[in-house]
Amino acid sequence: MKLIERFFNTTRKHFDAGGRFEKYYPVFESIESVFFGAPRVTQTAPNIRDSLDVKRYMALVIVALLPHYAFGVYNVGYQSHLASGLSTALLPVLFTGLKAVVPVVVVVYAVGFFWESLFAVVRKHEISEGLFVSCALFPLTLPPTIPLWQAAIGISFGIVIGKEIFGGTGRNFLNPALTGRAFLYFAYPVQNSGDAVWTLLTGSQTVPVDGFTGATPLSVAAVTERFGDIHQALADAGYTPLKLLLGTYPGSVGGTVTILSVVGALFLIILGIANYRIIVGCVLGMLLTALLVNLLASESSIPYMHLSPLYHLMVGGALFGFVYMATDPVSAAHMQGARWVFGFGCGALTVLIRVFNPAFPEGAGLAILFMNLFAPLLDRIEIKLRIKKRVPNVG
Amino acid sequence: MNELRIKRGYSLNLVGAPSPDLEQLNRPDRVAVLPERIPFIKPRLKVAVEDTVKVGSVLFIDKRRPEITFLSPGGGKIAEINFGPRRVIREIVVALDEKEAFEPFPKLDGTEIDSIERLDLITTIINGGMWPLIRELPYRDIARPEAMPPAILVGMDAKEPFLANPESYLKGNVDLFRSGLRILRRLAGENSVHLFTSPRQDYVRQTLGSDITCLVSGPYPADDPGVMLYHTKTSSSENRAWFVQGQDVLMLARLFAFGRYPTERVVAVGGSAADRPRHFRTRLGVPLIHLAPEVKHNGDVRYTAGGLFRGYAIPSSSYLGIYETALNLVPEGNVPGELLGLFRPGPRKPTFSRAFTSRVHRRALTVDCNVHGGDRACIACGYCTYVCPVDILPQFTYKALYAGEVEEALSHGLLDCVECGLCSFVCPSKIDLYETFKQAKADVYLEQLRA
Ligand code: SF4
Ligand code: SF4
Repeated sequence: MKLIERFFNTTRKHFDAGGRFEKYYPVFESIESVFFGAPRVTQTAPNIRDSLDVKRYMALVIVALLPHYAFGVYNVGYQSHLASGLSTALLPVLFTGLKAVVPVVVVVYAVGFFWESLFAVVRKHEISEGLFVSCALFPLTLPPTIPLWQAAIGISFGIVIGKEIFGGTGRNFLNPALTGRAFLYFAYPVQNSGDAVWTLLTGSQTVPVDGFTGATPLSVAAVTERFGDIHQALADAGYTPLKLLLGTYPGSVGGTVTILSVVGALFLIILGIANYRIIVGCVLGMLLTALLVNLLASESSIPYMHLSPLYHLMVGGALFGFVYMATDPVSAAHMQGARWVFGFGCGALTVLIRVFNPAFPEGAGLAILFMNLFAPLLDRIEIKLRIKKRVPNVG
Repeated sequence: MNELRIKRGYSLNLVGAPSPDLEQLNRPDRVAVLPERIPFIKPRLKVAVEDTVKVGSVLFIDKRRPEITFLSPGGGKIAEINFGPRRVIREIVVALDEKEAFEPFPKLDGTEIDSIERLDLITTIINGGMWPLIRELPYRDIARPEAMPPAILVGMDAKEPFLANPESYLKGNVDLFRSGLRILRRLAGENSVHLFTSPRQDYVRQTLGSDITCLVSGPYPADDPGVMLYHTKTSSSENRAWFVQGQDVLMLARLFAFGRYPTERVVAVGGSAADRPRHFRTRLGVPLIHLAPEVKHNGDVRYTAGGLFRGYAIPSSSYLGIYETALNLVPEGNVPGELLGLFRPGPRKPTFSRAFTSRVHRRALTVDCNVHGGDRACIACGYCTYVCPVDILPQFTYKALYAGEVEEALSHGLLDCVECGLCSFVCPSKIDLYETFKQAKADVYLEQLRA
């Protein structure tokens, strides 16, 4: 323990003002503060400051994501072994999962940290921990078959275009992880959409074994011909409500497990990190819009319109997006009322995109990005209304 | 009696609360005035080192309004005049004589107070050196004597950690306090004096009874006159209300009752490093060392004149200013945090957030003056908006000021800011919101004065 303390104490002088590596102070600070809080005291009133800092705030989001990683590793391995006709014993499955997920995470963090450090050093600000959250979220949204170079390009796009060109964390209005994800989706559709990409094949297998269908529930819902009986069609494909909750089907690395998203939501809401208005708004928006679509649907409309609201909530990564992406405080609406509207919009748009534009099966990501664009406007409106209520005090 | 509930704010539960015991301290051998700590004034010295002064002799005046005088809190010799950077006058120190001499001031009893012309009353207060205790919102500068205040607000509570509790200074002085209110009522003319306290201040409620106009409950800083004003005002003509601290009402009354410049102060000494956290009856301008000769902490201790939020750090060799009624002693916190504290549950970490288990335990905690984090860009967590007692949106107001949009910041309610410091306290990005607002308010004010 003393050793680590001594290490930072002896190296600090090189990074402090006047030191050899003064320029790289942000990198030093970022690493040191993981181990020790800096001995920095207040220079101005108030004399005392809250124990919470951005690092812990963001670390808690990452903690909430860890179960998704555990699940992701398992599910990627499990689906892969199923499709490849291998044993589904736990250890080999985990091994396959780790082999697929860990390299992506490592690459994403390395590339993300590189960009953030570069901008931090050039702009002389400290490294914002929002980066670590973006880098933790991004791999979970990817298909397990993603080529590493695409993961690298995706996160680069997300960090640089989604965030840094707007001035870095705090000034971006798009969620960086989603920006990167959407970029990959449009730039490399072959590796990022369709049924095949969601299952990793292992060993000598190049096509899934007979009887394994890689169809995701969203694609089943989108293409089924069984008018008026979409739930049965899903059940026939093995997608019972329980399976949808557990997420044990081909899909993005960590987004399918709806039940963990619920747990994560509670965790983050209880700790005061995620804003419940956004999440509840999303869920309400989704349920009500799906209900409305149901009501509008007739015998002859596309089956997707009949998908019940609760199914909408359970399939795919919608809830994952709502809980972890929509709640990104920077890119979401900031005002309490606007957060309701923002959330509602995310939920409603997700349903509309899914049902009416099945070309984008996973609508949540696009819906959230779209609402990100509107968040500043919603805030402005609410602030205007609030200011009107004040007794003016302008000097 | 009206009741008002303030929802926003935050009260920390900290160790080191001063006990209500009131201990008489023996006479210090020096007292001082700290011109540097009186906001906005431009002091011009009227004494030099070695001069002999009486209690109540003029030490300096405010160049902006030469009639406003600042008087000596002690009789003896000017021992030191200490200057800070750019020759601001830090301290005027008076070494007290064994037997102090007093400048005489007119004595007025209750009926005389009621019958004297308002303008003569003002002159008496000014000449008695008590005018600086009457201040004007929103800038909290000394009140303009020529103005008619839309209201005078007197808060009788101590929600900030830690200030002198009204009970401690009120005991035995209730009649005096009442005559102080009488003076304020004359000053307010047709308008009213609002005396407000918290429902929990039993002693104040029992003794002052019908003089209390409003019971204000809520977390810190619900006891601030600016908060009370914000939540009760109906038109912008009320923005420039005056306010007087509870204990200063007593000072005012003493001037009139005894015809002498009052020098008694009840001071709370608190904080986790305070050796004997309690109330002391002592002198205006007392040396800090006299109040707290010992500290209870291995390591550096910060001496804070005033509460932990609004008070200022000051060397232990200095003195207590005229507005301050508390000395808080807490660990400086200039040491690295515990190893991997980032990942610990934090049962003893003071916080507004819910990110530490301390929020469940509810025990009294220890604070220090560490910043507890690096400077980051605003992450829009919204905590600052949850605590602001006057519904400012600190993150947006800050951005407006950052972009130079002062008009916009004003429309957000910048001037309603009561300078409580909670927004800076809660900010996980460690942004100096409060300091920015305080500075911006002062800039607006100075601009106005020039115009
Ligand atoms: S803006 Fe900050 S300092 Fe001003 S009243 Fe609000 S919380 Fe207090
Ligand atoms: S508390 Fe700080 S980080 Fe949070 S919204 Fe306010 S200014 Fe931004």
